[in-house]
Amino acid sequence: MLKIINVKIILKVSSIILIILQLSCVQSKKREHIIVASAGKIESLDPAQANTLRTLQILSALGDTLYKINKEGNLSPNLAKALPKVSQDGQLIDIPLKENISFHDGSIFNAKAMAFSLNRFMKIGTLNYLLNDKIEDIEVKEEFLLRIKLKKPSSSLKSLLTSVNLTPISPNSYSNYKDSFNNKNFIGTGPYFLESFSQNQQIIKPFINYWGKKPLNKGIDFINYSNSSSLFGAIKTKEVDVLISNSIDDMQRVALNNMVNKGKLNSGEGDPIEIGYITFKSNTLPLKNKAIREALSYTIDRELINKQVSLGTREPLRSIVPPQFHKKEFSPFSKYKPNIARTLLKKQGYCETDILTIPLTFRSNVPADKLLALTWKDQIKRDLSDCIEITLNGVESTTVYKQLSEGAFEAVILDWTGAYPDPEAYLTPLLSCTKIENNNCLKGEAVFSGSFWGDNKVQELLEKSEKSEEESRLNTLIKVEQLAAKGGSYLPVWLVKPKAWSLKGISQPEFSSNGLIILKNLKRD
Amino acid sequence: MLWIISTLVFILLRIAPGDPVDAILGTRANEFARESLRIKLGLNKPLINQYFDYLNQLMHGNLGFSLNTQEPVKIIISKALPASIELALFAILIASLVGYLIGFLGAIKPETRIDFLGRIFGIGTYALPPFWAAMLIQIIFAVLLGWLPIGGRLPPGVSGPPSITGFLILDSILDKNLGMIFNSFKHLILPSATLGILLSGIFSRSLRLNLEEIFKKDYIEAAKSRGINDSRILIKHALPNTILPILTITGLTVSSLIGGALLIEITFSWPGIALGLQEAINQRDYPVVQGIVVIISSIVVMISLFIDIAIAYIDPRVSY
Repeated sequence: MLKIINVKIILKVSSIILIILQLSCVQSKKREHIIVASAGKIESLDPAQANTLRTLQILSALGDTLYKINKEGNLSPNLAKALPKVSQDGQLIDIPLKENISFHDGSIFNAKAMAFSLNRFMKIGTLNYLLNDKIEDIEVKEEFLLRIKLKKPSSSLKSLLTSVNLTPISPNSYSNYKDSFNNKNFIGTGPYFLESFSQNQQIIKPFINYWGKKPLNKGIDFINYSNSSSLFGAIKTKEVDVLISNSIDDMQRVALNNMVNKGKLNSGEGDPIEIGYITFKSNTLPLKNKAIREALSYTIDRELINKQVSLGTREPLRSIVPPQFHKKEFSPFSKYKPNIARTLLKKQGYCETDILTIPLTFRSNVPADKLLALTWKDQIKRDLSDCIEITLNGVESTTVYKQLSEGAFEAVILDWTGAYPDPEAYLTPLLSCTKIENNNCLKGEAVFSGSFWGDNKVQELLEKSEKSEEESRLNTLIKVEQLAAKGGSYLPVWLVKPKAWSLKGISQPEFSSNGLIILKNLKRD
Repeated sequence: MLWIISTLVFILLRIAPGDPVDAILGTRANEFARESLRIKLGLNKPLINQYFDYLNQLMHGNLGFSLNTQEPVKIIISKALPASIELALFAILIASLVGYLIGFLGAIKPETRIDFLGRIFGIGTYALPPFWAAMLIQIIFAVLLGWLPIGGRLPPGVSGPPSITGFLILDSILDKNLGMIFNSFKHLILPSATLGILLSGIFSRSLRLNLEEIFKKDYIEAAKSRGINDSRILIKHALPNTILPILTITGLTVSSLIGGALLIEITFSWPGIALGLQEAINQRDYPVVQGIVVIISSIVVMISLFIDIAIAYIDPRVSY
């Protein structure tokens, strides 16, 4: 009898607790702000310090850039009044600025403010080498006219001016931060102002005096979760309104896409800006042998990898530059042809007695890399086991980056996202080399990328491209990529599109050319 | 002890491959940019100078500045530590309640169904990988049933109460904000229950085994022969004698909690010191890693000291 009474009491107490918990799940009032979730903390809101997609995402809403890339892929003025005017020698760039634009602190945006922001970035910006290599001096010609003096002609600079890192900041509010970072505040000209900042949550609200198209929502709350499962669970349980795709595992991407297909979620995706590729170290044998690198370029079945590794979420890629920047169909890297690979390897003395062993390094903390490595290994075992053997080696990413330029890896899986939407932002960081001996790069970006592959013609064309414009520039860069494909030091594998999912009742996320969600366009239906 | 630990951390961090400059600038920065940052962060100095600078600062209570954000490490830790302590306290509370209750029931009714289930529970929770258990609990109670939040300390879009102590529940109570007390408590349930249940296995096993041993002692037999009833024997004679080993085990468990908490904090996006440590290691933010390790070590040393003092106080045979 006593036991039955005890059980009843336990049941009653449990029921009360459950009811309270359930009641607490019901929201007392409808959310006004839109809650956007992504992975990783934001440690600084200073554009001179920003280097993660999540930080750039917020800064893109708090600030404006001088120019942006429109849907047709062309440069269009934003804070600038017109396209930049380049002098005949290509070393002076005049940028007229829009008037009647104010910062969030009420001060006026003008050429002085823009020069202050650019000079500050060049002085303390963590990515300041992007500008310091190109810019000699910045001059305020008139109140609303900025002049940039270049060290040498640079047609890529215009695309660089679309970078969120170069968003103008108010000189008044940053007068105490000329030489240091202002991590927890941001005063810009953007459609939103910063309401509150903590590493785990940032709240932004519409800026009433914004000069351009006003936000369609009443504010955005950014929150972060530390892992993919939590992010996935947060949108599934409707704890958040929008989920940004970076750091979402492929399996969960597929599950989210299935929810979109069933009409449970909206989704939007931008142009791909991230590439996944394999780097071959070309300054030591056996990969010093160009024929072997060429043979390897025929061995990867990108379609299979897309299906097996990313479950269809990462498109196969046969170029270094994402296709939208070429403005035409262009895939210079070889398709999967194991028979050609075998023929080439036989000519080099492999396949009959010798088996070519390639140690492949992958970043152990990147799940997709590990799956790619395993799949390629098994695919080689299936198709070319008489010629090639892949041995795997997982190394934590920070260690990989450190040891890349030391030549520690024969073959390594990596990814790259251009700092600004331009082919040059992909080609130069992988191929540029300032000191070349017999196709070995001794000094330059190719050393940092771990390939050590240098080509005088490539270098010449890269420099030529900086002096040319439009179609002629693109054609030059296409030639660069053709040479890179022949060189065989890189093996592009896949493209990653930025993607976001939103709850029903929230508009479909739209993306800008630099892979960031246009937050002001998000609205509740 | 603290000097040895801080020196070891300093050396191991520098030996480990990876570079804070790479973590901050990325791999593409040119040599000039890298060298400039190296000078700015003081990483260009000889290692021995860096070490003495570090020790000098440490002795003056200065943990340095984050290489990544230039924020004082003290501030970073002071923001994250209360979250971890809050989680640890609730986890220990749950572990003690659940673990000791199960262990106690098993000990007073040996070789019964309760004892058998208690033993399975003890071994099972001890053997469960924390990250797997945490994910499973998260999926069941947050995603599938939707009873509790998926992670974090507060619901998305809700700002916390004014920070007085850093302990969210305590600050909410001081702020007299009932909604906030409830919200913060609700967010604490899953991570603390997960951690608590995982630890409760050790507690239940240790109490069960200690009581079993004590029940075999002569003084228990003597008490029985004097006709003292079972519950009195248990409360007056057996339980007080289990306090010493239990106290020792609880102290050791608190120390091991730091490792377990890391995985729990990552899974539940709990903004505590363990999550901060993981992020700082990834970024090779030397001062933050060093600072967190020194603070954690100090806490462990203090707990051990407290336990030793408590044992000496309880047991007159022990003296220092």
